[in-house]
Amino acid sequence: MSRFGRTPEQRRHKALRRAAPGPLRDYLAQPLPDVSTPLDDARLLAVDIETTGLDPRSDRVLSIGWLPVDGSRVVLGGAGRAVVRDDDAAGVGQSATVHGLTDDRVADGIPLEEAVGHVLTALTGRVLLAHFARIEKDFLGAACERLWGAELPCVVIDTFELERRHLTRGWGDEVPAGALRLWAARERRGLPSYRAHEALTDALACAELYLAQRAELAARSPRTTLTLRHLMT
Amino acid sequence: MALDVELSEMRDFLARHEPFDALPGPVLDTLPAQMSVEYFRRGTRIIERGRDNSHLYVLRSGAAEVRDAQGTLVDRGGEGSCFGAISLTQGNPSTVEVTAIEDSLALLLPAEDFHRLCAEHPDLASFFDGQRFSQLSGAVESLHLSASGSAILRTRVRDLVGREPVAVATTATVQEAACTMSKHAVSSLLVMEGGRLAGIITDRDLRSRVLAAGVDPAVPVSEVMTAEPVTGAVDALAFEVLLEMVGRNIHHLPILDSAGVPMGVVTTTDLLRLEHANPVYLAGDVAKQPDVTGVARVARRLPAVVQSLVEQDASADDIGRVVTAVGDAVERRVLTLAEADLGPPPVPYCWVALGSRARLEQALAADQDNAMIIDDSMQPEHAEWFERLARRVTDDLVTCGYPPCPGDVMASNPRWRQPLARWRREFSTWLHEPVPDAVLGASIFFDMRPVHGDLSLHDRLRRHVLNSAPGSRVFLAHLAKQATAHEPPLGFFRGLVLEKAGDHKDTLDIKRGGIATVVELARAHALSAGSPAVNTQARIQAAREVGILGDERADDLRDAYEFISYVRLRHQAGQVRRGEQVDSFVAPSELSSFDKRHLREAFAIVRAAQSALARRYPMQYIS
Repeated sequence: MSRFGRTPEQRRHKALRRAAPGPLRDYLAQPLPDVSTPLDDARLLAVDIETTGLDPRSDRVLSIGWLPVDGSRVVLGGAGRAVVRDDDAAGVGQSATVHGLTDDRVADGIPLEEAVGHVLTALTGRVLLAHFARIEKDFLGAACERLWGAELPCVVIDTFELERRHLTRGWGDEVPAGALRLWAARERRGLPSYRAHEALTDALACAELYLAQRAELAARSPRTTLTLRHLMT
Repeated sequence: MALDVELSEMRDFLARHEPFDALPGPVLDTLPAQMSVEYFRRGTRIIERGRDNSHLYVLRSGAAEVRDAQGTLVDRGGEGSCFGAISLTQGNPSTVEVTAIEDSLALLLPAEDFHRLCAEHPDLASFFDGQRFSQLSGAVESLHLSASGSAILRTRVRDLVGREPVAVATTATVQEAACTMSKHAVSSLLVMEGGRLAGIITDRDLRSRVLAAGVDPAVPVSEVMTAEPVTGAVDALAFEVLLEMVGRNIHHLPILDSAGVPMGVVTTTDLLRLEHANPVYLAGDVAKQPDVTGVARVARRLPAVVQSLVEQDASADDIGRVVTAVGDAVERRVLTLAEADLGPPPVPYCWVALGSRARLEQALAADQDNAMIIDDSMQPEHAEWFERLARRVTDDLVTCGYPPCPGDVMASNPRWRQPLARWRREFSTWLHEPVPDAVLGASIFFDMRPVHGDLSLHDRLRRHVLNSAPGSRVFLAHLAKQATAHEPPLGFFRGLVLEKAGDHKDTLDIKRGGIATVVELARAHALSAGSPAVNTQARIQAAREVGILGDERADDLRDAYEFISYVRLRHQAGQVRRGEQVDSFVAPSELSSFDKRHLREAFAIVRAAQSALARRYPMQYIS
């Protein structure tokens, strides 16, 4: 959690001093969620980013979906989805077939700056919740560095990691390939099936999986009041 | 649009389920944004009794059940079911407890949005209004109507009103009124004035207000009738009408439609029929009909009876017996009417049912399977009488809603209209010189039950068969082969689980896939034991008593059969409700995860029973 031995709060203050005016600075002006917050009171934002690849330096963001989770509830009314316009017009190439976004659709989008701005506004004061959160963290972080000159400190809960813990029970056993994927984790719990690979749907799928995972964790340790710290990556 | 918050998954989900499916598209588009999602582990409370509830819960996945103050199960539902509407419409605190019985995901609609939606869409309001029967169950307890009172709670008056009302004008004399009543065999009569209900007169009124009071039967009926009687609305719940009648101590209640036109009369007897034996009266009504048209009209009530039995959670076994009893009643009545026209049979005969009806397991939309065993004293000149009877009866059965058998296994086929001696020869050939195709076609004749005529003819044939069957190893091996030919669709469900994200359009033929296999297994076991049982559950029991089936396997097989049959019946009841053609093809989307899990178990049991049967009758010699 603490790259360079600093807490997220310390990193937030540092980034706040550096960041150019704009949505990142507004985000940084508010404190990060307190890691001792009980899960019932925790405010999270499930985020899913669809990209052209895994490397934030060479690949770009196609679309972003997000949904707030307040305590034990996913608040559908807070859902957001942004399709990102590609100003280089390099085309989306092969990954379009994976994400169901055609070049036309992407061309209809908004600039990355605007899209990330929406996400940061929604994320203010909230925990970043994602499945295999490194992608969301890396791409959002790279965008923030490039657009506003500062990093994006945040508190992260990763349903992928929670699933690994669930399957290994903390013993570090090997988990079969594919077992940690979002759809496998959902199917294991009988959660409904969705059309995969659409950013908002995936964010919703991740948020629902989180509800199930935290209910399982709570049932496993009935005498503990679980806090964000118990779940953080 | 760049910022696109359409939650299409949730919208599509709602659009697939009652009552939201009736909402206009634009309303559905915005509904998800008013909702939130919550997860409930199995065993956790969704709504606590005695606490305030402020949401409508729509189950996205999983299952939940509702229990009242006495802990009685009032309702249970899976994906798409709504909970909480009762306290939202009737007021807090909640009188019932809603518990997740599986890990469940629910959509929550806040109370204020729920009320606004109901106000704007009366269809929605009346749907949730219809759910209030669970609220009423507490009242039933206090009336000591017992658990079976649920029939009364779920039935609407509309479904009780059978015949057109019998009526006379106010100007008719008491004498004329009494004649009309006895002509139509009714215990009450509506008195009309210019298309409007003016009064009602009953048997009891004729006794107490006319005969006992020494009133002249020539006076107008309006002088002795009950003027401006209490009436009921056709959309009321049977329960509400019963309370009204008990409260006022009346036994006949005219039922009016929304325009005030009389639809019929409900009697306390009608309501009491609901209590247990609704179908018994249906069979009784069949027997009273003066002609085939009448029989056909009464027989059309059967699907609704089955639907209500399913809703009352009657077992598949019970429902199969009910459908069979009605089928028997129809056949007997049609035979009696035909005999009345054709004259008495020249020699004795026995009309037998074959297949599912013989086994007391008839489902809706069953084909007719029947045959005739004629006394050996039959002469060539008698053939014409039997042919005319068989043709007429099989045609009449079609009129009554029993389609012809596609394989022509009907008494109208001369091959299945034979003297006893020929039947014996037929069975001997099947038993002793079996050829695979013949056994396949013949197995239906081993499920035979007498319905009408000289029952001893059937009895003699049956004794012959049962004496020969246990020793016919090759025949039994053929039956066993038939019973193991169709593997239950275990893979179908495994596929379903794996392919959850995919678009499964396939349906499951639940008859071929499960029911028929258990029937065949039970038949093979029972015949090898020389048992006279034809009912599948009875055959399983018979096989257990002689030790062919172990106790545990017999219990499992019985439960599996009951569950698979129940799923089919529920599917058919749904089709009846939607006014669709009834069949046995179940779509996976109809099944909750609870159903799927149990079906999977049931199919696994059937599969294990097949393997055991295959070991018992090695089939390598005959294949």
